[in-house]
Amino acid sequence: MNDSFEPQILAYCCKYCAYAAADLAGSMRLNYPSNVKVIQVPCTGRVDILHLLTAFEGGADGVYVAG
Amino acid sequence: MIVADRKPLEEILDMIKECNKILLVGCKGCVTVCNVGGAKEVGILAASLKIARKKDGNPIEIDEKTLERQCDPEYVEQIRDIFDQYDAVLSMACGVGPQFLSEAYPSQTFYPALDTKFFGGAVQHGIWEERCAGCGTCVIHHYDGLCPIARCSKSLQHGPCGGSADGKCEIAKDVECIWDKIVKKKMEQGRLEDLRTIRAPKDWQTARDGGPRKSIREELVQ
Repeated sequence: MNDSFEPQILAYCCKYCAYAAADLAGSMRLNYPSNVKVIQVPCTGRVDILHLLTAFEGGADGVYVAG
Repeated sequence: MIVADRKPLEEILDMIKECNKILLVGCKGCVTVCNVGGAKEVGILAASLKIARKKDGNPIEIDEKTLERQCDPEYVEQIRDIFDQYDAVLSMACGVGPQFLSEAYPSQTFYPALDTKFFGGAVQHGIWEERCAGCGTCVIHHYDGLCPIARCSKSLQHGPCGGSADGKCEIAKDVECIWDKIVKKKMEQGRLEDLRTIRAPKDWQTARDGGPRKSIREELVQ
């Protein structure tokens, strides 16, 4: 792995907390790395193993679930 | 229900190493109930296989299909139009599934993705235990609903044997001695005398010892 490697990270975020926090960060003009892709879910309880596997299958290097 | 476990991913990958396109067929019967071969598990296995093959630089195409059951010809027929579009078909049913499939489609190759274990039920979420040995002549009424044929390591009709200690079987510390339970239950019910009855040797011809079995219901046969 070279120094320029940037992992692609997929983030499943709860609509009511983690996504709201990300939204607030945006309103405050704060930055977060562009290699993190956020997907809003109604609740992290909705996140299933298939969501995680599909992300990896689609090329994600890491997945996190925030809620 | 029939309880099964999924084969290790490495074993399945080895089975299909020559294939570039496969059909993964699940079953909505017993293996869905024991969370090993239903639509969800089909999706998980397909994704896992695709990720593993992609990582090896040898991607594989996998289509998914989950049949109502794989042990009835009318449901097995549902892949008639597509079965020959694949290098092989991987079945996520019990051992009956791949056999019914290969009988219906002799020109295709079928692989089992599961190891079929036993007839049993869920004792708690995620744990299944054997309850029936399918011996063909049920005797559980003699033992207050506790089957020593399936649940005693020696299938003793008169027990316990000398290997019973502290309610456990000598074969392993986590295996309960069903004869310990039978005796305790008879004592609680004040029917310990029942166990003095000498049972005739069991006729194992109705079990697997009599060869492959068949059940015919005359009123249903057309």
